[in-house]
Amino acid sequence: MASSESDVALMQLVKEGDENAFRELVERHQRVVINVIHRSIGDAWEAEDLAQRVFVQVYRSAGRYKPTAKFTTWLFTIVHNTVLNEHRRRARHAADSLEAMTEPRDPEGVGVQVADVRTSDPATEAVERELHARILAAIERLPEQQRTAVILCRYEGLPYEEIAKVLKCSVSAVKSLLHRARLTLKDDLRGYY
Amino acid sequence: MSCNQIRACFDERLDGRLAPEGQRQFDAHVAACADCRREWEAYAASWQVLARHQAIEPSFGFVERTLRRLEEPASVITPGLWRLRLLRWAMVASVVIVAGIGGWHGWQRGQEARRAQAYASVHQSDVLDEDFDVIATLDQLSGPNSHGEDKL
Repeated sequence: MASSESDVALMQLVKEGDENAFRELVERHQRVVINVIHRSIGDAWEAEDLAQRVFVQVYRSAGRYKPTAKFTTWLFTIVHNTVLNEHRRRARHAADSLEAMTEPRDPEGVGVQVADVRTSDPATEAVERELHARILAAIERLPEQQRTAVILCRYEGLPYEEIAKVLKCSVSAVKSLLHRARLTLKDDLRGYY
Repeated sequence: MSCNQIRACFDERLDGRLAPEGQRQFDAHVAACADCRREWEAYAASWQVLARHQAIEPSFGFVERTLRRLEEPASVITPGLWRLRLLRWAMVASVVIVAGIGGWHGWQRGQEARRAQAYASVHQSDVLDEDFDVIATLDQLSGPNSHGEDKL
C-alpha cells in the first residue's frame, strides 16, 4: 500500500479512536513535522513541543478529516497554523521569546538531537554551525507565507499545487511567494554560496 | 528568449517546471549571456545552499510523550486562546462601563436642565409678581376712577 493510502486508512482508524493507528501516524511523520516547525521558529525544543500539539490536534480533529485531500496536505495546514500562532504569541511576548532562545530547556532530560556538523576540521565545523544559524535566521526573517512556501518547497519537495492548498492561495500566488523569498534569501545568504 | 523572459523563468527552471524545449532555450541563453548567467547562478546557488541545513532527529521518547498529551483534557486551552477570551471580555466590559458613564452623564445633564427650567420659571413668576405689585401701586396712585381712563 502506498504511504499516502495507508495514511488515509490510519486516519480512518484514528477517527474511531484507535490509538495504535495514531501512534503509527506520529512515528511516520514526527521527523517531518518537527523539522518544518524547527526551520520556521529556530528553536529545537519549542519545535518538539509544538509538534506534539500538532499531533494532538490531528487526533482531536480526526472527525473533520476528509480523505479527498492528501493527509500530508491536511497535516501541513495544521502545522502552518500552529507556527502562525506561535509567531504571534512571540510577537506579543518578545521578552519571553528572548529568554527561550538563551536558556535551553530539557525538562525530561532527553536532549534534543541537533544536526551533526562534526567534521575532522574544527574550523570547518565552526563555519558549518555558523551557516546553519545563518540559514535558520534568514528563513525565520521571511514573512509567514513566504517562509512556509520555502520550507515546504525546498525541504519537503512539495509541488506548487500542494503548497497552494496548504496556504489556501492560488498556484500563481505560490510562485510569487517563492520568487520574492528567493530574492531575499539571495541577498541574506550572500557570502555563503 | 529575451533577458527579461529568461529571468521571469528562474523559478520554473529551478523547480523543474519548464517543458524540455523551454529548458533548452533557457540553458542556451544563460550560456550565452553573461549577465543572465551571473544572476541565474546566484539565484540557484542561494537556493541550493539551504540544503546544507541538516534536519534534526526527534528526541528519545517523542512519540510516548505525544501520546501522554492525549490524556490532557480537551478544555485545556492554549495561552493564546485564553488571552483572546480575556480580550473579548475586557472589550465587552469597557463598552458596558462607557455606556454606563455616558448614561449617568446624560441623566445628570437632564436633571440640571430640569432644575434650570424650574428656576427660570420661578424667577419669571417672581418678576411677574413684581410687575403686578407695580401695577397695583400705580392703580392706587391713580385714584378710584382710574381704570385705565384718561382723566384729562
